[in-house]
Amino acid sequence: MRRTMLYLPGNNPNMLLRGHLFEPDGLVIDLEDAVSASEKDSARILVREALRRGEFGKCEVTVRINATDTPHWRDDIAVVVSCGISGVRAPKVDNAQTVRDIDEEISAVEEKSGVPQGSTKIFCLLESALGVWNALDIAKASPRVTAILPGGEDLAADLRTNRSKDGVELEWIRRMIIVAARAAGVDALDTIFPRVNDDDGLRKEAGFVKQLGYDGKSVIHPNQIPIIHEVYAPTEKEIETARRIVEAASAAALRGLGAVSLDGRMIDAPVIKRAEYTLKRAGLDCPKEG
Amino acid sequence: MERNAVNREIPSRIDGYGSTDGRLFEGAFARKPSGYRAGAKIRAAIPNGSSKLSGSVKEAVMASGLKSGMTISFHHHLRNGDYIVNSVIQACSELGIGDLTIFPTALFDVHKAIIPHIKSGVVSRIMGSDNGAIGRLVSEGGLDSPVVLRSHGGRPRAVISGDVHIDVAFIAAPMVDRMGNISGRSGKSACGSIGYAFTDAQYADVVVAVTDNLHGYPISPISIPGIYVDLIAETESIGDPAGIVSGTTRVTRDPMRLLIAKYASRLIESSPYFMDGISFQTGAGGIPLAVTAFMKEAMKRRDIRGSFGLGGITGFFVDLMKEGLLQKLLDVQSFDLDAVSSIESDPNHIEISADWYANPWNCGAAVNMLDIVVLGATEVDVNFNANVNTEADGMLLHGIGGHQDTAAGAKLSIIAQPLLRGRIPCVVDRVHTITTPGEVIDAVVTEFGVTINPRRKDLLNAWSDFTYARDIPLVSIDELAERAGRMSGPMEPIRAADRVVAVVEWRDGTVIDTVRQLEK
Amino acid sequence: MDLNNPKTAQAGTLESMDCVVTITGPEKNGVIEITGSASARFETVMKKVINETLDGLGAREPVRVHVQDNGAMDIVLGARVEAAYKRYIGEFTR
Repeated sequence: MRRTMLYLPGNNPNMLLRGHLFEPDGLVIDLEDAVSASEKDSARILVREALRRGEFGKCEVTVRINATDTPHWRDDIAVVVSCGISGVRAPKVDNAQTVRDIDEEISAVEEKSGVPQGSTKIFCLLESALGVWNALDIAKASPRVTAILPGGEDLAADLRTNRSKDGVELEWIRRMIIVAARAAGVDALDTIFPRVNDDDGLRKEAGFVKQLGYDGKSVIHPNQIPIIHEVYAPTEKEIETARRIVEAASAAALRGLGAVSLDGRMIDAPVIKRAEYTLKRAGLDCPKEG
Repeated sequence: MERNAVNREIPSRIDGYGSTDGRLFEGAFARKPSGYRAGAKIRAAIPNGSSKLSGSVKEAVMASGLKSGMTISFHHHLRNGDYIVNSVIQACSELGIGDLTIFPTALFDVHKAIIPHIKSGVVSRIMGSDNGAIGRLVSEGGLDSPVVLRSHGGRPRAVISGDVHIDVAFIAAPMVDRMGNISGRSGKSACGSIGYAFTDAQYADVVVAVTDNLHGYPISPISIPGIYVDLIAETESIGDPAGIVSGTTRVTRDPMRLLIAKYASRLIESSPYFMDGISFQTGAGGIPLAVTAFMKEAMKRRDIRGSFGLGGITGFFVDLMKEGLLQKLLDVQSFDLDAVSSIESDPNHIEISADWYANPWNCGAAVNMLDIVVLGATEVDVNFNANVNTEADGMLLHGIGGHQDTAAGAKLSIIAQPLLRGRIPCVVDRVHTITTPGEVIDAVVTEFGVTINPRRKDLLNAWSDFTYARDIPLVSIDELAERAGRMSGPMEPIRAADRVVAVVEWRDGTVIDTVRQLEK
Repeated sequence: MDLNNPKTAQAGTLESMDCVVTITGPEKNGVIEITGSASARFETVMKKVINETLDGLGAREPVRVHVQDNGAMDIVLGARVEAAYKRYIGEFTR
């Protein structure tokens, strides 16, 4: 689950060591925008130590590296990939070639440091019009790509506009990226909601992207996490329906039946998968898995 | 040396305090009162009220008959804005009065002005909470006699039972009439409730009201009646309003505090006390106030109406009452401007004395009606003993407040605290000072989850049945201490000498612990 | 060892749970100074972390290490000492 992925500034020990306590689904340790150019060296050491010896609870741990047009990105990958992380969040991905470059660099580090080949995923931030336009190519550029995400501020600037309260400038981009993500079979994760004290605004935006089909949002403040989880929590009725679907499917599987029906309606594989996902979001175990 | 019921070694005799024989802590509810109440000297005012006006503070000190070696008392409703302690001690110094025992309900940083008078011998002994600079002086051995720390309930108990006799009580009074009737509710130095001063007024041989707001007879409403008051001193200003009350109290946005507060609120919601008629005390600290905010949400969600809020009252509690979530407020200390204006205008916002609030030896202390209290602590140990008096470096920096009383009285007492403050662990194997024994602490809540005292099987069962507890970890106190120790690394012991610089009394007057002088 | 040509390098911040490590040298003898909130109870363990980190980096020349602490755990202290030392010896091109 990637309903919430919390950004942690890479040079801030307090957040690095405590971020997981707020129980986001994932963490994004940031070596890019949150760290000034003169502190990249120091932050990289701190992040390395935190990754090696820190605790992160049940969170999926990822690191946002610096962009491939900076002198930092190879050092970033060398340090963080060797620690064995779930994935790298790559900023400013404009085309498939960028993904292939990062993939190659990661593969070399995995090889050298004994991290299983292919285990480090790539999350692609699409922060330009070109990147958004190439979304499908990017998402399919490497088997490591696990999610694509629209950028926020940078993307708005590239579109020659700015971020508005209702997010109209990102509306079409969000729709395009979800289609590309699903076409490529990867996750679509939404950008951050910048106004940390506007709980109602966040609830509205999270509700909108959830309805579009997004798997979750990036988060910049711990207080945003429970709000998004609440938006993504299935209703009692959805849970009940999902439970019955999963039960019917497993009962049918036990009896060796291929086709499943419930209340006179045929249930196929995608419906079952969806139901299982609903139970997972509700924090319930699927009988099939258990 | 003898060991008390919480296994602390207490000297059989403490210089400047006396024998501890028969005064060792035996258990939270072990010691029972006997005998009769102590009393003050009987006196009568001349049948003409004007004679109480005695001029300046210095003139009132002279008129009071205060002599060297006597005990004088003060209340701390003006908190860090108070001018009266400093001006009375200054007057005593000018009049050549020395060797005084001061018996304040608490001293704050503003009172560091009396440090030179401690050094010169005007003040030789302090019996009361010492926050800030004076606490530091005490820890370093700057006083000849040990400080005696008592809780908000233990202090009136000590006065009423005769452990402490007050020669002259100086009561900073935001509003007074010519007969000495006192109120804290209005005036430029208004502080709301003046609950801590009641017992002093009743039991001191001489009572001096010090005011910057004198009215004709009578004022209304009256908090402390003039029947107890001998003299009235007038001064330009009794305190700095900025230090007396804070502005509107806001709930923190700090995510760590909110997380802990949410866990604590869920624990309360899981308990059998979360039902119509629930009562609680949370004070003004960041986490406790946030707990109140989460409880408000839970009370609305589950349509629960509470009975009363107790203790130090904030605007947040006033709002709970206005919204019908609480019926009454019992106010011993008003923390902010909203609380002050509410106590002035709303008859359901009731002023209570410290005696009424928390004295273990009376027949109706409000803490005994309390369901829930949310407290802090600098440290808790694996036996749930709590330290609120000394800091990590062993320095005496905080008073007891109502910690002992509310923990003992409430049906569910919760300590809500981050597990670590910076690197310093708050859950340890052994606390440096025991303020409140683990037998009256029911739960500890940290950012790592909820920890229930194993003695409270009922709470453990209620928690495991509670739906909203599903996502919140339940951790044992040993796990917490182990985790804190692992994160912080081994701590070096505090280097303390043998000399006792403070005696921590349990609310019944027995010695629960001592604080030793720090080595330089 | 050129005692007449001292160098100084620094890493870390004064944010909560962080520390500022300043390394000055060369010195005749290694010196460690710790100030700040946790120093009263953690001095020995902090000195151990500092020495182990410097040894791990192959530091041979004696230096003065000053730590202004605001509650740094060992992980953080070690990382800051490493960053300060690497800056001190000019390993980073910045």
